[in-house]
Amino acid sequence: MRRRRSSLPVTFLVPTLAILLVLSMVPTLYAIVIALQNRELSTPGYSWVWFSNFADLFTDRRFLNAVWVSVKWEIVTVVATMVVAIGLGVLMFEVAGPRMRNVYCLLFIIPVLLPRVSAAFVWKFAYHPLYGIATYPYRLVTGGLIFDPLSKPATALFAVASVDVWQWGLFFAVIVLKLLETLPPQPIEAARLDHAKRWQIHAYVTLPMLKAPLISLMFVKMIESLRSFDLIYVMTRGGPGVATETLDMYAFSQGFIESGKVSYASAMAVLMMIATVITFTMLWKRVQA
Amino acid sequence: MKPYPMRPGRLIAKAILALAGFLAVFPLVWTALNALKNNVDIITRVPKAIFTPTLANISYILGRDSVLTGLYNSVVACGSAVLIGVVLGLPAAYAVARYPNRFAGDIQFFVLSLRFLPPVAVAIPLMVIWLQVGLYDTLPALIVTYSLLTISVIMWLAIPAFQGVPKEIEEAAFVDGYGAYSVFWRIALPVAARSLIGAIAFSFVLVWNEFLIALMLSSSNAKTLPIVASELSQQGMNVPWGILNASVVLLSLPPLLFLGVLSGFLNSVFRQKKN
Repeated sequence: MRRRRSSLPVTFLVPTLAILLVLSMVPTLYAIVIALQNRELSTPGYSWVWFSNFADLFTDRRFLNAVWVSVKWEIVTVVATMVVAIGLGVLMFEVAGPRMRNVYCLLFIIPVLLPRVSAAFVWKFAYHPLYGIATYPYRLVTGGLIFDPLSKPATALFAVASVDVWQWGLFFAVIVLKLLETLPPQPIEAARLDHAKRWQIHAYVTLPMLKAPLISLMFVKMIESLRSFDLIYVMTRGGPGVATETLDMYAFSQGFIESGKVSYASAMAVLMMIATVITFTMLWKRVQA
Repeated sequence: MKPYPMRPGRLIAKAILALAGFLAVFPLVWTALNALKNNVDIITRVPKAIFTPTLANISYILGRDSVLTGLYNSVVACGSAVLIGVVLGLPAAYAVARYPNRFAGDIQFFVLSLRFLPPVAVAIPLMVIWLQVGLYDTLPALIVTYSLLTISVIMWLAIPAFQGVPKEIEEAAFVDGYGAYSVFWRIALPVAARSLIGAIAFSFVLVWNEFLIALMLSSSNAKTLPIVASELSQQGMNVPWGILNASVVLLSLPPLLFLGVLSGFLNSVFRQKKN
């Protein structure tokens, strides 16, 4: 074979991989270095403090709160996205004709294309207690009572999460529909001949057949859910209080808004990095296996 | 498949779908309408659908230096990063797709794992590094940082695109005396072009929408459009709602231009799977 002797794989791969390695490893290693020092934005000097930033983190109640908020965020957004996606995907498969499917697919992709900042603003207006379009039905029904989802600790996280689900749940519904369309029709026909109900066909035939791609989809959503910063920064800034302060929000405010403790923020980022790389590497190996 | 008769369940299902379709676009349409309203028409307890439209918000936005600079920065930073992603990512993806080696699986995993890195964990050290090198708050710093994103995403999506090119066409070209490089240029690239354009458009949308890294790596000169838009909301208590809505519309337009390309890309990915 001619392919074997070519220099192409080396010339095409080596420069790109080298650049990717440098661009990813330099910041990663440097993040660890900074985390072991006591740098602050306001002062140029620094010294090595080794693990004291990490030790401080574990007694920092705001940090522990941020871990808990991040875990809640991850669970709420991933579960809600998958439920919305599978629900709408199945509904489209069942009741929408080819033309309507195309229309819905186009409509459902729009939210995910928006910059997170735009999506956050769109819904921040919509949730405005006095003038918002999403709170208007509540004002109408209650005769002008005020409902302010973004400033109540109990609802703020869910209000922000709803925007994430608005973007990703609708988009994934399109993918679920396309996955259903790739299935061979015979098993569905067979189940129907056995007088299976519609929902039974999906619960026991189609969705189990799609188990592997659906798990991959969930994996993608878990990774994307880590990028909650834009939504939270625009909509609540981590508030009210610390009710929506995720890890990246807290790291950002420690490093840049409140105190300029870059090293402390970096220690947090390093812990996040270790946690996510270990978790997702293990999950990925399992998905592939 | 026989169509079932119209039953209440079916009707409810259609109603839910219609509601979801409405929810998908209505908030955005409402924002666009608000961008055309005077402030008095926005600040009403009962939302106004009928109003006298004004172009004041839009012309205010387009007349602001900060917005124009942000637009320029976004276009240059995202455009350059995507270009670098194309030049470095496409050939590498082709090599992985067509020249299988022991490391192919590891390379793919490495490229994917770059997506696991929390953006803060990249942005904090890079900010310190760019400060030390004297490139903090400049476009080159942003471009280099974004290239990490574009190269890895383009590579990840282009590998299956190149694998989808029928092998026989490439083999025939080899028999005709084409070298390995001209097979890439003249056969693989044109045949895979449609999927590749989808991958490139996707990487553009990704960096255009990026916020956290741009926020941390710029302070005044290199601010991208999302940062400028987010700052408009912090002008004191008197929020200029109409202006803010107009800036959201401006920020959202470029990704929406790719709606057609990206939904076509999605279709082609699944058509490949079916065959």
